[in-house]
Amino acid sequence: MRLLVFVVLCVVLMVVDARFDALKTVRSQMGLVLTPFYWVADMPVRIWRGATEQIASSSSLMAENEKLKAEALLMQRRLQKLAMLTEQNVRLRELLNSAALVDDKVIVAELIGLDPNPFTHRILIDKGEKDGVFMGQPVLDASGLMGQVVEVLPYAARVLLLTDVTHSIPVQVNRNGLRAIAVGTGNPDYLELRHVAETADVKAGDLLVSSGLGQRFPSGYPVAQVTEVVHGSGQPFAIVRAVPTAMLNRSRYLMLVFSDSRTPEERAADAAEAQADADQKAAAEGAEAAAPAPAAEAEAETSDSEQAPAASSSTAVSEEAQ
Amino acid sequence: MISGRPNNGWVIWFSLTIALLLSVAPMPGSAEIARPLWLGLVIAFWSLVLPHRGGLGAAFCFGLAQDVLAGTLFGQSALPLILIAFLVLSLQQRLRMFPLWQQSMVLLVVLGLAQLVQLWLNTLTGNRPPTLLFLVPVPVSALLWPWVYVALQGLRQRFAVY
Repeated sequence: MRLLVFVVLCVVLMVVDARFDALKTVRSQMGLVLTPFYWVADMPVRIWRGATEQIASSSSLMAENEKLKAEALLMQRRLQKLAMLTEQNVRLRELLNSAALVDDKVIVAELIGLDPNPFTHRILIDKGEKDGVFMGQPVLDASGLMGQVVEVLPYAARVLLLTDVTHSIPVQVNRNGLRAIAVGTGNPDYLELRHVAETADVKAGDLLVSSGLGQRFPSGYPVAQVTEVVHGSGQPFAIVRAVPTAMLNRSRYLMLVFSDSRTPEERAADAAEAQADADQKAAAEGAEAAAPAPAAEAEAETSDSEQAPAASSSTAVSEEAQ
Repeated sequence: MISGRPNNGWVIWFSLTIALLLSVAPMPGSAEIARPLWLGLVIAFWSLVLPHRGGLGAAFCFGLAQDVLAGTLFGQSALPLILIAFLVLSLQQRLRMFPLWQQSMVLLVVLGLAQLVQLWLNTLTGNRPPTLLFLVPVPVSALLWPWVYVALQGLRQRFAVY
């Protein structure tokens, strides 16, 4: 009898949880209490890492320091060049009349737990609702996209990795802009590209970057590198496998990206408002201040959206296809 | 049977909390697949030795806690735990007579059933494991049963939990 009561309760809870939002607050409250479990469970790893760092010999630390300095120097050189290239890119985009690429804001999070179910690829990070993390937020590591936030608790968040079977991400080949969908396989080592035509121009070694077309991930971040293309296997489409560039099962520090989360309509409205403000200001300042007006206009346009570059690149691709 | 007022309930909750902790503890990559069903084992133990102390309620509470930790739907891991508690409770009088290895054999079946229920629920939520590997924790847990039993029995006698 009591079994029946509990079983019915479980089933009702499952249905309610799957269909409605009613239990969200309960879950986040319980999450508040239960998140320390992950901290405690992770403690031995933490202590071990701390201890190895403590007893690392000074010579190895010095060697590491040297290496990091050299790396920083190389990075700085690249950064100098990047500043110039960014400037050039902005100017060229102005010439092409398309919106500038928006630089994204990031915060760093640390991994605190793995999902106990070995058949899902999800991780828990130490930043949550209180740090401004939101559902669907893209997560990166130093070398590429890792996944997206699927559950937000007050002080933690759950991230679905690219390789989970339920995950897919729109990508494009960096070399020629060919678009595809990269689907997780449940195997941590590779993704698969779905519905790629036999004749499509994809080669082993191609870099796949996020295309930003799904409106969830920002465009232009590296996702995976193609390792294998199988043609003529009797299948209607080519089989394309790609290795994620992010260290999905090794990275301990991740970055959460805050890109512009407004909808295209909101962005358009905001841009129009900014434009109107700029016009008014220009009108008020009169004839002698005619110069700032175009600048304000340009600003309004840059605040427009990342939608425009995505759209323009997709038209470019379709032109290329024809 | 020893009869008396329920006492030292915290030992039961403490052991269940440790089991919950173990069920999310990080494990080296390939061992992850063989993670023992710690909560199932501890629930089975307390249902077996103290059947009058409400195994079903505890199974339900800790099942919900595990659901929050694992990010699954509420009730998704509570249901198999309740099933384990119920089966052990109903087999309890016979199980107590068995030697430890025979108890392991029975638990192999009980935990296997629970894991199958878990599989159905996972399939309903669109997350079906691709192979039969999801059954690996069952024999591992059954092998661990005698040790868990001896350890928890020691704890129970040390703190005189009835």
